Amino acid sequence: MSMKMSARGRIAATAGLGVAAALSLAACAPPGGSAGTGASSTPLATGTVKVGFIAPLSGPLAAVGAQFQQGWDYYWDQNGFTAGGVTIDVVGVEDDAADTQKATAAAQKLVEQDGAEILVGSIASNTATAISKYAADNEIVNIEPISASNDFTAENANDYTIRAGSQAATQTSYPGGEYAAKELGYKKALTLCTDYSYGWESCAGFAQGFTDNGGTVETQLWQPNGNTDFSALISQVVGSDADVIYFGTAGGAYGPNFLDSYLKAGGDVSKLFFNSSAADVATLQAATKAGYGDQIVGLYSSGYYAEGADAPEAAQEFVTSYLKDNGVIPGQYAAGGYFAASLLAKVFSEKGLVTGPDLVKTIQGFTFPDSIYGSVSWDSKNNQTSPVYIRQVEKHDDGQLYNDVVFTYDAVDQWNGRDEAKVIASHPFDKSNQYVK
Amino acid sequence: MTNPLTRATAVVRPATGLIPSLGGASRDRLTTTLQYVGLAVVLVLLVALPYLGLAPYYVNITTTTLCSALLAASVNFLLGQAGLVSMGQAGISTVAMYGVAWGFKQGWDLGGQLLLALVLTLVVSAIFGIVSMRTSGIYFMMVTLAAGMLVFGLAYSMSSITAADTGISVDRPGDLNSRFNYWQWYYLALAVFIVGTAILWVVSRSPFGASLRGIRDSESRMRSLGYNVAAYKVGAFMISGFVAGMAGVITLWNNKLVTSDSASITNSTLPIIVLVLGGVGTLLGPLVGAIVVTFFSIIMPSFFERWETLLGVVFILVIMFARAGIVGGLGRLYRWIRRRTGGSVRTPDVGTPVPTSNHRTTA
Repeated sequence: MSMKMSARGRIAATAGLGVAAALSLAACAPPGGSAGTGASSTPLATGTVKVGFIAPLSGPLAAVGAQFQQGWDYYWDQNGFTAGGVTIDVVGVEDDAADTQKATAAAQKLVEQDGAEILVGSIASNTATAISKYAADNEIVNIEPISASNDFTAENANDYTIRAGSQAATQTSYPGGEYAAKELGYKKALTLCTDYSYGWESCAGFAQGFTDNGGTVETQLWQPNGNTDFSALISQVVGSDADVIYFGTAGGAYGPNFLDSYLKAGGDVSKLFFNSSAADVATLQAATKAGYGDQIVGLYSSGYYAEGADAPEAAQEFVTSYLKDNGVIPGQYAAGGYFAASLLAKVFSEKGLVTGPDLVKTIQGFTFPDSIYGSVSWDSKNNQTSPVYIRQVEKHDDGQLYNDVVFTYDAVDQWNGRDEAKVIASHPFDKSNQYVK
Repeated sequence: MTNPLTRATAVVRPATGLIPSLGGASRDRLTTTLQYVGLAVVLVLLVALPYLGLAPYYVNITTTTLCSALLAASVNFLLGQAGLVSMGQAGISTVAMYGVAWGFKQGWDLGGQLLLALVLTLVVSAIFGIVSMRTSGIYFMMVTLAAGMLVFGLAYSMSSITAADTGISVDRPGDLNSRFNYWQWYYLALAVFIVGTAILWVVSRSPFGASLRGIRDSESRMRSLGYNVAAYKVGAFMISGFVAGMAGVITLWNNKLVTSDSASITNSTLPIIVLVLGGVGTLLGPLVGAIVVTFFSIIMPSFFERWETLLGVVFILVIMFARAGIVGGLGRLYRWIRRRTGGSVRTPDVGTPVPTSNHRTTA
């Protein structure tokens, strides 16, 4: 019986394979397919450009994804979907749930079903890389307004992906280290970042800026990614004799929870220096809500965006009207969405309808002088060159906390004054590889 | 209290099958014919899919479905045949993904990439098998979960090789990168899916598969009969891991990216959700389950943001009303109808005990 059964099994399996192989070999291109490769998408001459938007609207990054989308929507609500003679048609908003498979499917849907010529998004570096790869393979422009991953505007740079709306992680945190060493005169630093690529790169930037300007990083602590309870490390942080404590994490519960534990353990806020997302508006609001808002006034951070006093004029206008309409101060995720929208509108109104690789080239040679980030331009690897603001938390007359600008580093690029090839050769930064060799 | 020996004899179940057994214990001619017809229809549908007038996007979604179905099929083999729930399967598939991706990054040709993936997959499957071979039930789940998390942790921390959560991008083999080649890529993925499923099916039908089912039904009895149960478990893990590696390779090419998140706990539990929905121990269960999960997780979010809630509700409904999954449930429905209409159907769960002489031929 066993013999008979397995023989039958073999026959069926072989038959199945044979059918599949024969059909696929005999296959000619089905409708919509092309037997050749790389048929290019021709830009539309109608004056309408189709844009698809991808953000993590469910899953672990849903909260920041929603802010990102609100910022993006807010620009179009305020200014309409036309710029010069170009109509911007947002063909779809898709959720990637911070998952690469869903990000690829979202990109496929927007491009193949909805005809998008430009993909905007997403946030997490894995989804950003997946979308960037899909876009490059299919000659679709990809604008990355949030992701801070160093790679895709360095060794993995391609002709279709542009970072517009944020900076590389080290690019933003390097001036923080420089400021702490040079202007604040600190000599010894302790760093505490989340134990994954964004944390490694944030800490690497600060450590490099600090040591390049005469400081020494004595201790580097790493918080497991996803763990927002700092009680295990806090005594080491508070008990350290470092002059400055650098804290670099993504947005969310990290910043508020750390501040809470730090203050309860008797830590001194004037010693703290945060990266941009840890000191984002959401952290300040959580601090106010938890009742220790007044204690974090004076907290330093470095960011490519600032919402408080002495921020660029466009940012102040954006913050005022956004606060009036939505009842919340826009943080850097909303700012990223808003910036990407305003950039597209600005480019189309000045340069007319450009799509595909021409759009990328146009943006590369473009300067956006009066953006919410100040004057922004792009380098040859499609990365945003823009000011970095040293910010301090201040309580404004409306009773809310803001990040006020206390110092500005203009036109900061991703190499932070070092040799490009040397920096790329030192990538990727991780916890055992923090410095440029 | 049942005597384990007699109980074991009574529940040696038929081999893995379609609805629910393809050419298994059922000697009912009509049932067998229907099952083969069903399988043929599914196969023809899959092969003809790009020609059915579907938009390319839906063909791509089907490719994604095949990737998760094949990974689920590798879990199905362990669960359906040996009764072992592997919670670390995404760890094995991720290792295969890194093998291909790392080879690609070094500029190796396709053969070299696949060879590295194969070696890594087999080594890691063997390690998984060896650490878990003395366990079963909940302990097996925990050990495989830990092993899967170990792969995740290594992928996360060895960032100079793996690029952690940013990941390594690759090109598809041949010239299949552009979206206009979607159908060639679909056929390649389909071929891998069919080969992988066929391997598992053939092994399930072999004396080796019968011995695994013996272990599933009574480990102590098999041990007392002189079987090296641990070795069988390692062997089963190697076969399952090999297919998981195949699934990893097509998943990698489908997304053109591997990150440490590929080995995350979510990706390891997903095949189990797929299986429970589709039907454990059935040939088409993984595919049907993957279609349902893909529908909810990829097509649904465009219309409805709370897709996770909906998937959860469907999952609960299936567990409450169709514990054998969708495919198994259909099989039961079919038997119920046959009984009502007076056809004679053998009871499904008590198949013919496999003669011991068959076991002898295996070792």
